Amino acid sequence: MSTLEFALVAFVLATGLATAVLRDVLGSIIAFAAYSLGIAVVWVVLQAPDVGLTEAAVGAGVTTVLFLLTIAKTVRPSGERTLERLDLPALGVAVALVAVLATTLGALPPVGGAETPVATSEVTSYYLENAYHEAGVENVVTAVLAAYRGFDTLGEAVVVYAAGVGVLVVFQREVFA
Amino acid sequence: MIDAFAPRYLYLVTFLLLGIGTYMMIGNRNLVKKVIGMNLFQTGIFLFFIAAAYVEGASPAVLTREAPHVSPLPHVLILTAIVVGVSLTAVALGLIVRIYADYGTLDADVLWEVRHDD
Repeated sequence: MSTLEFALVAFVLATGLATAVLRDVLGSIIAFAAYSLGIAVVWVVLQAPDVGLTEAAVGAGVTTVLFLLTIAKTVRPSGERTLERLDLPALGVAVALVAVLATTLGALPPVGGAETPVATSEVTSYYLENAYHEAGVENVVTAVLAAYRGFDTLGEAVVVYAAGVGVLVVFQREVFA
Repeated sequence: MIDAFAPRYLYLVTFLLLGIGTYMMIGNRNLVKKVIGMNLFQTGIFLFFIAAAYVEGASPAVLTREAPHVSPLPHVLILTAIVVGVSLTAVALGLIVRIYADYGTLDADVLWEVRHDD
């Protein structure tokens, strides 16, 4: 692991932890925005620039605005304490989950190896070899998103539409009146 | 031990993020923080996918760059998941605003007591 990667991962974990323990919800939201920005850079380092762009625009941008709007419309609990009180049962569940997942660590393929199932998959080589002839786009991620898996993206659009309808139903137009 | 762990440490980071997200969803009383925890949990899973697609020394899945390229498929799946995640967050926060308008609190414990008294 390079120094940059290590520093980024440390930043992401630190901001993630700050999000969990800060008592002030506004502080928690700001920590989460910093976390999203950090993880967007991690995507770029892991050679996924498209995901990095989306995460920076949507994760750090839109999501943060949504959270801030919610705070503005509801309440921001204030108190003397900076940190949240530790919830031991929840901590137990979280530690148990991490412990169970960690037992699978040895069975997973090493990150970055050329022989991982994803890298050697037929699907991967098919997309990389044929995307330009068949879809006419040099960015293979775009080709897969809009051409090969266009129905997937259509489904995604349906989800966004349903969410929009859902929010309107929940508010019953009163907020927009 | 270290030799087996070092190339897989990103997976361990994934597990830790899942742990933090789980803790927030169960342990934090504030509903907004529960939703933030859900978002954190999601990004943990994203990291699993992107780390699985990563190949040392490969370039992004853009054909003008030199081969080898990383696999584009996990990236596409995560792009879709990010947008779906935002939709989910928007609906959840809309419900939270309504809950506050009706009950005047966002604390899960207080909310439970108020509901119980009715």
